[in-house]
Amino acid sequence: MADLKLEAVRKAFADTVALDGVSLDIAEGEFFTLVGPSGCGKTTTLRTIAGLESPTSGTVRFGGADVAGVPTEDRDVGIVFQNYALFPHMSVRENVAYGLQFADPPDGQSVEERVTDLLDLVDLSGMGDREPDQLSGGQQQRVALARALAPAPDVLLLDEPMSALDARLRETLRRQVKRIQTELDVTTVYVTHDQEEALAISDRLAVMSDGVVEQVGTPREVYERPATEFVASFVGENNLFRGEVVERDGDGTAVSVDGTEFRIDDGLDGRDRNGGEALTADDRLTFCVRPEDLTVGADANRFEVAVDTAEFLGETTRYYADWGDRTVVFRTPEAHEGDALALGFDPGDARVL
Amino acid sequence: MRPARAVERLSAPVLAVTTVALLALLFFYPVGVVLVEAVRVDGAYTLATVVEVLRDPFYFGVFAQALDDPGVVVRSFPDYRLGLFGFTAYQALLSTVAAIALGLPGAYVLARFEFPGRKTIRSLTALPFVMPTILVAIGFVATFGANGVVTGALQSLGLQVESFTGTLGIIVLAHAFYDAPLIARITAASWEGIDAEMTETARSLGASPLRAFRDVVIPQLLPAILTGALLTFIFSFMSFAIVLALGGLSLATVEVWVYHRISQLDYGTASTLATMEMLFSLALTYAYLRYEAQQRAAGTARPPDRIDLLGTATKRRLFAWGYALVALVVFVVPIVSLVFASVTGPEGFTLRNYRFLLERQASAYAFQVKPLTAVTNSLLFGAGTLLLAVPMGVFLAIISTRQFRGRKLIDTLSMAPFAVSGVVVGLGLLRGFVFGTEAFGYRFTVTGALAIVAAHAVGAYPFVTRNVAPALSGIDDAIVESARSLGASRARVMFDIELPLVVPAVLAGTAFAFAISIGEFDSTVILATGGSSYTMPVAIERFIGRRLGPATAMGVVLLVVTSVSFVIIDRLGEGSGFGG
Repeated sequence: MADLKLEAVRKAFADTVALDGVSLDIAEGEFFTLVGPSGCGKTTTLRTIAGLESPTSGTVRFGGADVAGVPTEDRDVGIVFQNYALFPHMSVRENVAYGLQFADPPDGQSVEERVTDLLDLVDLSGMGDREPDQLSGGQQQRVALARALAPAPDVLLLDEPMSALDARLRETLRRQVKRIQTELDVTTVYVTHDQEEALAISDRLAVMSDGVVEQVGTPREVYERPATEFVASFVGENNLFRGEVVERDGDGTAVSVDGTEFRIDDGLDGRDRNGGEALTADDRLTFCVRPEDLTVGADANRFEVAVDTAEFLGETTRYYADWGDRTVVFRTPEAHEGDALALGFDPGDARVL
Repeated sequence: MRPARAVERLSAPVLAVTTVALLALLFFYPVGVVLVEAVRVDGAYTLATVVEVLRDPFYFGVFAQALDDPGVVVRSFPDYRLGLFGFTAYQALLSTVAAIALGLPGAYVLARFEFPGRKTIRSLTALPFVMPTILVAIGFVATFGANGVVTGALQSLGLQVESFTGTLGIIVLAHAFYDAPLIARITAASWEGIDAEMTETARSLGASPLRAFRDVVIPQLLPAILTGALLTFIFSFMSFAIVLALGGLSLATVEVWVYHRISQLDYGTASTLATMEMLFSLALTYAYLRYEAQQRAAGTARPPDRIDLLGTATKRRLFAWGYALVALVVFVVPIVSLVFASVTGPEGFTLRNYRFLLERQASAYAFQVKPLTAVTNSLLFGAGTLLLAVPMGVFLAIISTRQFRGRKLIDTLSMAPFAVSGVVVGLGLLRGFVFGTEAFGYRFTVTGALAIVAAHAVGAYPFVTRNVAPALSGIDDAIVESARSLGASRARVMFDIELPLVVPAVLAGTAFAFAISIGEFDSTVILATGGSSYTMPVAIERFIGRRLGPATAMGVVLLVVTSVSFVIIDRLGEGSGFGG
């Protein structure tokens, strides 16, 4: 087990900058997720931790020690890739045992005991003699997980391990991975482009975009208090409102968006967003309101919209409505396409970005 | 660091240095010897011999004449003297045209028709890559020679013919036999990659079927045809065994003349000519590789439905049937004639020729060819070639799939033997090693047998590399990275994961290397001193004209070995790397 630190890691390829000063502090035993759209640098970050890429500048520390120049095979990491990457010429048992040639099994176990334990752990008892191509995708992924965990690595690295599986199986496997991680208490870095998965599985997560970490926090912090416009719109659905400050007083801030005035609690105690000068009238300001916080017939912050599209999602319905030339998203059980409605939201539900 | 790991880390550089050293010893040094001899006379460096050759009409025909007297270009029009180089290019051009004429209809039939055995015939089009040229020569002698099957058939019809060998036509036909399948193969692959929807779109826009073919299909086939044509030209330009066996000195090409100069112990002229030819063939090969590299565009095309070859006679079917008949005569008859000639004699059916191969011939004079020695030599040299060529080829394949500075250079250098003829390698090894080389105050000499194995290894390892390299680079990076993250060093990953996964490709490469060795003629005939290091191809060439029976029997043995190798390559390998 080890904690993991990235300090101002920069990675430049011939024509692109993949990572532009990434700093992360991942605690021992933590389940930490890197989430972001494709090309944001999350996989490069993972590969840098693994030693499969060397950073152009910056430092990676395992348990405080700088690992620059330490090759992958000496880093005590376990990796699970999206496409499983099982050794096709070895049985399931040989795959799981492979890493135990280079590191003794923990707790004085024999190799056979360790392999049996791990196959039990991933619910593949009795499958040891199968060949990888005789297994389903989900089973192959669990073999890959068992193989990565067998030498008891300090850090477990999972690179989009479930994106090749169908949705239902993904949710089952997700819970299993989380259970195993908790049980073994191994420091885990998980890469995914699926923000819902990231929220569901992580102790903490880092939202990345264009090689930069936009925000680090617990799933609840990131969802409820997005730090940037990117986080606000990438994690969950959101409605962004861009306007100008009309006035500020003890009750909050009045913001004018295209002539409609909203009153919001900015949560800034009169400070500027960046801790600099206080916001004053005519300053530009962006805030967001979650779809579930926009309600029909609310008392405050009302505005008239025309419902354009309804999407029935099962437990709820998602509506897209026109407000002037903008589109807002909201959820309510009681609207229809073509309806003209008055939506509103509680001043406390708005988040200033 | 554990000591075992330190050894593992050292293994890669050690292997790299060994391979490069072997390459230098077996290939670059001998070729260098030829280059130096070309410009050195009596210990002094001079371009005199080169200039002499360039000004000699015997070599450069009208070009050489024009250097002294430009008026000759006008006076002798159009009846130019070609000279040796001109004739070589001329016969290569004729061969290319013939191969295209014979290959393109084949491509059409393969790409557009469906018939039983189509896939088998399609894979057989790769056979020329492993088929020894001397086998084609003996097959053609058995068909068109003085006692040939076709010659005999024509005579029994009352026609006054003696033999077709010794003519330019038969050389061109033999080259076409050899290269038309390649053209058919490369073009058919490209043809199958043309989406039916393109032609259908052209048709929907108003084009007639013929017009759509001309506007849509032909432009897309052209690069493939040019690729095949360039390859055929290179092969025919450097062709040696076929020209030597079917044409002799009266129809000599540069290669044959170089061999002739060597046998007359005129190594200076041989080196000069060989160098000039090598520069030309290197330039052509470079052009070929550049051009081929531009063609790599694979799509998921939906080719049009194939036409059933059997059915009522339509214009297309009649054309295909006609071609099938021609193909039968050109491709099948020489091979059948070869087998037929090997089991017949004046007394009718006989196994005498095969028994002759197993005779030790204790009574034979030292200068005579001993058939059993030739058979065992071929097998021994083949085994020796594998010992050198397979590790070298595999290692160069590993190098060519790694990213590091200077990789491109090693890639290019390691593929250079493709472009250098066996005659040149043989000449270099003869001058450099068999005659001895001085280093560190000692004179090193090697025997002809060792030099032959070296020459075969040089000719064979690129085929190992071209089979193994694609298989290696096809392995998912994530598999290698997984193994490394589990604690395996780079070298361990190679032995535990990568090599086991490319075993089929290595076997295919091995079969390729063996086939190349057992069929190699060009350098062997130069290095085979006396009768003791003759191989089957060399023995065949010696027997042609004198003992057709034993020659054809040996040809059949070669044919069997080649066919077995081919089946292994076809089942397990990636092919030659030429046009799939």
